[in-house]
Amino acid sequence: MSMEAVTALMPGSDHVEGLQASPNTKPTLRATSAVKWVFLVGIALYFAVPMLAMARFAFQAVPTALLTPEKLFTGWSAAGLWTALTDPQILAATKTSVLLVVFAILLNLILLVPLAIVTEVRNPQIRPYLTALTLLPWVIPPIALVVGVAATFRATVPWFLASNFSLVPFYALWAMPFTYRALDAGLQAINARTLYEASRSMGASLATIIFRVLIPNMRASMVAAAGLTAAMVLGEFAFASLLLKRTLPTEMVNYQRSDPRGGLALALFVMVLTALSLGLVVRSLRRRGLNIQTTGL
Amino acid sequence: MRALFRRENRLGLLVVLPFAAFVGLFLVYPTIVVLYKAVTPGGSFGTEALQRALSGTYRTGFINSIALSGASAIIGGIVGILLALTIKSLDRPRWLHPTLDSWSAVASQLGGVGLAFAFIATIGAQGILTKLFMSVGVNLADYGISATGFWGLVVVYLYFQIPLMFLVMMPAVNGLKSSWREAAAIMGASPGRYWWSVGIPILTPATLGGILLLFVNAFTAYATAYVLNAGGALVPLQIRFLLQGNVITGEEDLGNAIVAWVIALLLSSLLIMTLLQRRTLKWTST
Repeated sequence: MSMEAVTALMPGSDHVEGLQASPNTKPTLRATSAVKWVFLVGIALYFAVPMLAMARFAFQAVPTALLTPEKLFTGWSAAGLWTALTDPQILAATKTSVLLVVFAILLNLILLVPLAIVTEVRNPQIRPYLTALTLLPWVIPPIALVVGVAATFRATVPWFLASNFSLVPFYALWAMPFTYRALDAGLQAINARTLYEASRSMGASLATIIFRVLIPNMRASMVAAAGLTAAMVLGEFAFASLLLKRTLPTEMVNYQRSDPRGGLALALFVMVLTALSLGLVVRSLRRRGLNIQTTGL
Repeated sequence: MRALFRRENRLGLLVVLPFAAFVGLFLVYPTIVVLYKAVTPGGSFGTEALQRALSGTYRTGFINSIALSGASAIIGGIVGILLALTIKSLDRPRWLHPTLDSWSAVASQLGGVGLAFAFIATIGAQGILTKLFMSVGVNLADYGISATGFWGLVVVYLYFQIPLMFLVMMPAVNGLKSSWREAAAIMGASPGRYWWSVGIPILTPATLGGILLLFVNAFTAYATAYVLNAGGALVPLQIRFLLQGNVITGEEDLGNAIVAWVIALLLSSLLIMTLLQRRTLKWTST
């Protein structure tokens, strides 16, 4: 039996045309192919419809109750989005969120870049501990940790929780799994240990190796980690909301109460921006062949 | 671990210590305090708080949360794995696989405020689908599909559950080698027999692990549930209520006890998941 004949027997193989499949198998294969496409179109609709509905609500000033087919193209405007974007409180919250993103990324890189390098080139025996640690944020999610934080820091160091930047260490914590994974994947992709030994044998000092050999090679991982951290921080709601902080997500919910249309437009805008930047990060990772799970597992 | 403390390894110690101190202070310390307070309500050791956390409205909360997470994990898991299998079998439009891959990476992170808004505009009281179905005489809310109803929440959660399952399953599905299928066919196995004896047994651990991850993911989702129905009887919303409500004596212990149960639930799910993953790796790592 030739290979081609074998594949033609399989469910789901599409090599129907051009093969001498017997007349009665051809329609069934075509039928399974049709089922698959119906399934895919259904999934696509499920993912597209809410976004389209949101866009319509956000940019068309026609209430759903009055929407008729002939009114489909009237009343479109982006004024709501503009009002929302220039709202002083939204601007202040955006500034807070952007600063939180920057500080969380910096804190994570300061803590994890040396750790990832030392683990990879000198102490591989601590790797299992670090890998186990990446599961911790799944076990202690924001909604659980916030209770512990309220029970500890609120009583002992109230000034710490009063500041917006008290969110930084916790956001860094939840971004740790994928940051560490990204850095580790980057180090393995460049064969860090060989580079380290080669530089060492040519007489390079440790600082030279880290700053002139390893870190320049880890730029892609750092950008990926930064992109994922930004997406996480710009979407995190539970922790900020329960500690009464005014970050972009919490302020968006407040804003939506007074201006539903503008609130939705703003949320859609933020979502599209996040999706685009995340998509770019993922694509550039694929192109470099870095296999990094965005789930952090 | 002991090797770290040898003399020549001061460098290792230097980078591990700040990291360990950071995790210890901001993650381990608050968690241990909560767990300790949960078993010492009012200052002395006892299980009253832990028992109260599983009675009355809080019991309802746990039941609702487990039902919602379970339903969205099972449905999302099934659809996600079907999606992964479908994508693997179709190689015709070249763009399909990478596009879906990137989209899943993005969509699995989309849970939150924006997603809740999107579904308010779709299946909320003024939603466009609600209206569309109304015009043909079907009231979606009668089937629980509203922005606040149980099945409505399931529909919303699926938006990030399906992509997550797809991401988690794709490596396992790719691990199904075509040579196994060919070998089975040569030995005369029907496609059904191949799936029954080879495909399903190999994919089962990864599938169960993925569904557990989805369960954990849904159980701890807060923003979506809060925006859609802040007063709902779900565990994350009840934690908010206890945290922000007036602190009556004992209420604080109740919050700690609920969190203790949540951590126990998540921890056991993730432990089982890790064990299942180890089994999957055995087949897909080469």
